[in-house]
Amino acid sequence: MLTRINVGPIHPSTHGVLRLVVTLDGDTIVDVEPHIGFLHRGVEKLAENRMYMQSESYMEKIDYVAPMAYSDLYVAAVEEAMGIHPNERAKYVRLILLEFQRIASHLLWLGTFCNDLGLMFTMFTWTLKDRDLILNLLQDVTGSRMFYVNMRLGGVSIDLPPNFEEHANKLLDYLEKRFKEYEMFLEKNPVFIERTKGVGILKKEDAIALGVTGPVLRASGVNFDVRRDYAYYAYEKLHFIPQIQTKGDSFARYKVRMQEMKESIKLIRNALKLMPEGDALGMPIKLISPPVKEKEVIVRRELPRGEGMIFMVTDKQRPYRLAIRAPAFINLSALKHIAKGASYADLFSILGSLDLVMADVDK
Amino acid sequence: MKINKEELIKKLKELSSSGYNYLVKITAVDYIDHLEVIYFIRNMQNKKEENVRLDLKNGESLPTVIEIYKAADYYERELSEMFGIAIEGREVKRLLLEKWDGLEAPLRKSFQWGSEYKSG
Amino acid sequence: MLISSVEKLIFEVISIFILIVFFDYTFGWLERKTIAKAQLRHGPTYLGKFGILQNLADILKLLTKENVIPKNADKLVFSTVPLLLLALFIFLVYLLPFPNSLGIDISIGLLAIFVLLSFSPLLIFLTGAASGNKFSLISAQRSVIMSLAYEVPLILSVAAVALYTGSFNIANIVYSQARIPFIVLMPIGFFVFFIAMLAELERPPFDLREADSELIAGWLVDVGAPYYAMALFVDYTRMFLGSLLISLLFLGGWLGPYLPGLIWLLIKVFVVAFVIVIIRATTVRMRLDRIMRFGWFWLLPLAVLNIIFTFILFVK
Repeated sequence: MLTRINVGPIHPSTHGVLRLVVTLDGDTIVDVEPHIGFLHRGVEKLAENRMYMQSESYMEKIDYVAPMAYSDLYVAAVEEAMGIHPNERAKYVRLILLEFQRIASHLLWLGTFCNDLGLMFTMFTWTLKDRDLILNLLQDVTGSRMFYVNMRLGGVSIDLPPNFEEHANKLLDYLEKRFKEYEMFLEKNPVFIERTKGVGILKKEDAIALGVTGPVLRASGVNFDVRRDYAYYAYEKLHFIPQIQTKGDSFARYKVRMQEMKESIKLIRNALKLMPEGDALGMPIKLISPPVKEKEVIVRRELPRGEGMIFMVTDKQRPYRLAIRAPAFINLSALKHIAKGASYADLFSILGSLDLVMADVDK
Repeated sequence: MKINKEELIKKLKELSSSGYNYLVKITAVDYIDHLEVIYFIRNMQNKKEENVRLDLKNGESLPTVIEIYKAADYYERELSEMFGIAIEGREVKRLLLEKWDGLEAPLRKSFQWGSEYKSG
Repeated sequence: MLISSVEKLIFEVISIFILIVFFDYTFGWLERKTIAKAQLRHGPTYLGKFGILQNLADILKLLTKENVIPKNADKLVFSTVPLLLLALFIFLVYLLPFPNSLGIDISIGLLAIFVLLSFSPLLIFLTGAASGNKFSLISAQRSVIMSLAYEVPLILSVAAVALYTGSFNIANIVYSQARIPFIVLMPIGFFVFFIAMLAELERPPFDLREADSELIAGWLVDVGAPYYAMALFVDYTRMFLGSLLISLLFLGGWLGPYLPGLIWLLIKVFVVAFVIVIIRATTVRMRLDRIMRFGWFWLLPLAVLNIIFTFILFVK
């Protein structure tokens, strides 16, 4: 006998407003259908009526957990359209800030993932405390904790303060200790392992055919990372290694993100050592922007959730068409395929491990 | 590469069997008298990317590519409701907008801001 | 000096009731503070010193709100069964002996308690099923299935204790722990009893019934405010009952040097309840089929092993 259960849109377990209509046969899931669009703000249409640097603030609000990543994606697209390139020091500064943003986003993911599994808020408060320290550091650099708007054409708006290096190194040492504790707490816990190992397996061919991206793709064994294959800023000089797991279950997706956090710490340390002296300030925002040279622009970046891409057709002062590829959008469409045949309590383990932010899905 | 609408399915089948098996995005640009639909596909082995473009006149419909790439489901649904392109070959339901029947598709240049409030 | 047996009875009834209320209240405060400290927060600090009066304010607020009965619910069952549940658990506390001439001495106390305890899954199921919505029904089904699996090891481990002592009178069981408490004699039995008791009390990690992130609040989704206050009361009274049973049957009850018996009993009860709270703050919720597998394939053989060992080593 098939029953239909409505999960959401307001629900203590989903990250944002997501409505799932689940068809159950006893305790097994037969079909999952997501209803989205609660957070659709029409960013692509809004950008067509604004000048180039006026829509940077819209881009940040697409993903409110890691805003700097989207604003960097957009500003890089505009820079390529105008033929402006950041200098060496600006590349390193952007890389360091982006990697800190990646650690902060994965920390929030870890807290809410454990919330979904039933560990009510204990892990959430610990990881939010660590994320708070990172946001304090970013506040020293940019002036605000959440929506930074600090990317400018050719660099950043404010350069790094003079004692940034020692503060960053102290914070990185503290974070390394905490990551060891989190691993010990979770990976030796038989109930956690039983709820994530073997749950929601996604095979390699299915992952490529469904078009998923980011840690979900890397957990299924596909060796693809934008930071190595379409390398940007200074990733080639810093010996970056993508983290791959082969099983494709929830535990593999958790492990990929934990390893990525540790890899980010190594990248920041190396970048702080190799960073050249100079000036990383970009151009201030003016009413008339520099002339546009290219007609069509394609830019890719590795956002914390996956691979983001912008395809822009340019006009003189404003974009003619801005097409954004959001990673959480296509990860959500794979939920139907992964959850078929699983039991109902596994649905939240799978949903948590996909790392969805609804504003990213709806743009 | 630029192709015609009739050779779309044949070309995509040829590309997907020669290693281009990952669909990145399907998007469209509205040049006021015609639409240009672009398919971005990527080869996961040697990491090369290819984009396939075709021109659609206003009111024409687009064949579905879901048998070739399973990832095309959500992209085609978003395309059909944002640009008003009909997809032939399967039934597509709305994805992001609600109560939008009879109104102009939002991402076209002829959309007037505020026109969605006029009916009901 | 009490004059007649009627007055003695009234004194006992009132004194045990005061003990129950005292434990529930203090334990509610202790649980909130402990879980808050484990999560790097403070817990209630505003009302009274260290937030002691917070629970009183919460209960007063809940009791003065309007009681709403949903349209699909069965009115008679929905309004009366939670009260029956509370009455059942309070009655069960009365069947236990207390020191300093506070308790009622019953010669088949152990048997009576476990017979009446098996009524509770039935009443819980009735409450959940009478709410009239799918989530409560699912959670009620889950709780009945879980109780089925865990009652058998529970009773088997208690049977080992009764086998060793040779009587069903709980006061006799406590006195026969005068030299060595049973936790040392039967460690496997203690382990099985503790885990099976956690499942009976429906405390984490076995708290499927109130799975917060999956079914919102399980059977408590549709109950009105006064019944919610009563549900909290039921929860803590159950924990009092469980901790009392553990300390009386395995930890030596009210025996101990220097201090009067009642104080020793309360200390042991608080220590056991504190351990239960710490388990709540640090575990992930288990899935239903894993809980069933654990109960049937691990606890049940361990309980049988425990009885065999007790029989061979001590009874002959």
